[in-house]
Amino acid sequence: MKSAPDRRTPRWRAWLLLTPMIAWLVLFVVAPTAILLVYSFCERDEVGRVVFTFSLENYRRVFDPIYLRIFARSVGYAGLTTVICILAGYPVAYCIGRAREEWRHRLLLLLMVPCWTSFLIRTYAWITILKEEGLLNGLIRLVAPTATGFDLMYTPTAVVIGLVYAYLPFMILPIYGSVEKLDGALIEAAHDLGAGPLRVFSSVIIPLTLPGIAAGTLLVFVPAVGMFAITDLMGGARVPLIGNVIQNQFLVARDWPFGAALGAVFMGLFALTYWILLRLGAREEDPA
Amino acid sequence: MKLTRFLLPALLALFTVTNPARAGEELNLFGWSEYIPQGVLDGFTKETGIKVNFETYASNEELLSKLVAGGGSYDLIQPSDYTAEVMIRQKLLSPLDLAQLPNLKNLAPEFRHLDHDPDGRYTVPYMSGTVGIVVNTERVKTPIKGYRDVFTPAFKDRIVVLADPRELVTWAMFTEKLPINHVTPESLARVRPVVAEWVKLIKVFDSDSPKTALLNGDVDVGVVWSGEAAILWNENRKFQYILPAEGVPQFVDVLAIPATAQNKAAAHQLINYLLRPDVSRQISAAFPYTNPNAEARKLLTPEQLANPASYPPGHPKLTTFHDIGKAAADIDRLVTDLKSAR
Repeated sequence: MKSAPDRRTPRWRAWLLLTPMIAWLVLFVVAPTAILLVYSFCERDEVGRVVFTFSLENYRRVFDPIYLRIFARSVGYAGLTTVICILAGYPVAYCIGRAREEWRHRLLLLLMVPCWTSFLIRTYAWITILKEEGLLNGLIRLVAPTATGFDLMYTPTAVVIGLVYAYLPFMILPIYGSVEKLDGALIEAAHDLGAGPLRVFSSVIIPLTLPGIAAGTLLVFVPAVGMFAITDLMGGARVPLIGNVIQNQFLVARDWPFGAALGAVFMGLFALTYWILLRLGAREEDPA
Repeated sequence: MKLTRFLLPALLALFTVTNPARAGEELNLFGWSEYIPQGVLDGFTKETGIKVNFETYASNEELLSKLVAGGGSYDLIQPSDYTAEVMIRQKLLSPLDLAQLPNLKNLAPEFRHLDHDPDGRYTVPYMSGTVGIVVNTERVKTPIKGYRDVFTPAFKDRIVVLADPRELVTWAMFTEKLPINHVTPESLARVRPVVAEWVKLIKVFDSDSPKTALLNGDVDVGVVWSGEAAILWNENRKFQYILPAEGVPQFVDVLAIPATAQNKAAAHQLINYLLRPDVSRQISAAFPYTNPNAEARKLLTPEQLANPASYPPGHPKLTTFHDIGKAAADIDRLVTDLKSAR
């Protein structure tokens, strides 16, 4: 007779089922990361081929104040984008989540429809809107012929507009997931116990939807830090963000080892942040 | 998506019917964006049955990095002269079989034996051009003669330039009267403060389509490829092209076959096709750079030949780039550094 715990240890069949996922991870996560790490300690030759001689020069360069400032600026842009996405996305997600069943899917569909168009085309559409002789200023001049209009294109504001536009759905969807699961009885209970609308929102609704906000924050912040297309197209490639610098190392400067070192440090920073967040989360759940 | 899935097989079927002999043969072309009209490639496919897979890049560096990385197998590439020079030295190019290129005779003699490839064994000129200043004369009333007149505080945030570190640093070297092909730490130190000032004034860096910011009215002056300037002039005569007084970079973009090419026969066929006057004329119509093809120039309209950006009047002194080796990385670093400092 077999004992119960024995049945819980995975057998070869279970491993077999996991094989595709493990193969996927090894092929597309572990192997590229390993290549990145190896390259980051190499040097380049005249035309940009990687030469396998051990060097720490790339890492020394990463911690040059220029690149640290670029790192900080990228985090700033991504942070601002995330905050705006939360402020703008939360009410939308809440309304969709609390809407009548048959409406919810239609509203979600409206959110998805723009994503069926290529991301680049949607970014170019923003250029048409924001350019000096564009739709926005045309509208302003129509209403107030004497107004000068905005000079938005190729400014940091344009970059943030582009980033918020691109990543807003990734904030709304996870929050929607949390809101949909929200138990109406808890809200009613809070009301019955004398909490005002503000109190209900801050002490009941927000904590219950926090997992959605956290997931949305990760989904928006991480890709926004590394984004380079929007800064090029809408920011006029004037002020480099870390994504631009890395892309530049691979495609223009032909300095793959340095690009790899930047990428490796970038990943390290994320791993560290994620680990700290996990620790904080664990402490909150278990104050002892 | 659905449309392409439906259309592609239909198109393929069409070509298979018209050209049963060469059906299925493919050619991988890696060229500049905004440089080869799709219609020309379609014409080639229609005549030969060879399907052209066309991929594009926006800088020589991008081409070089993809080529040495070994990603993708390209049969025909389109480097600029100074990049072809490195490629020849690094044995990245395959020698051409000139017997397969009878249309070479159409090229103007001054484009036959250029510095980067003196024997003409590896490269065939595709188009040539200059880098110069475009001015929106409706907005700018002061006379503009050179780089120094463009990069002034009066035009702060009204300037577009090529997103090309080598070009930017070269213009600064021209204004400082330094040799542009002999880049040393000292010469870079000399131009550093100049470029630092300029970077603060520039609104847009764009190599793909610098004309866009000018057309949209977001900027009033630009330092751009002559072909982009020629398109602007065709669009509206208010866009004037000026060859900078301090010095004019000239480039000759060439066709070449990488050493690793799989289908060299088809690559030769396409080069020869692109050298045909009637084909070359179509290229000039779409992208009005300076056409090195003397026979094709005879087919151009007087208006096309009068475009000052394509065919600058007189005999201006032009300077071509040469490979500068590792100094290219120093230039890139300098520009990244100065851009980040704003």
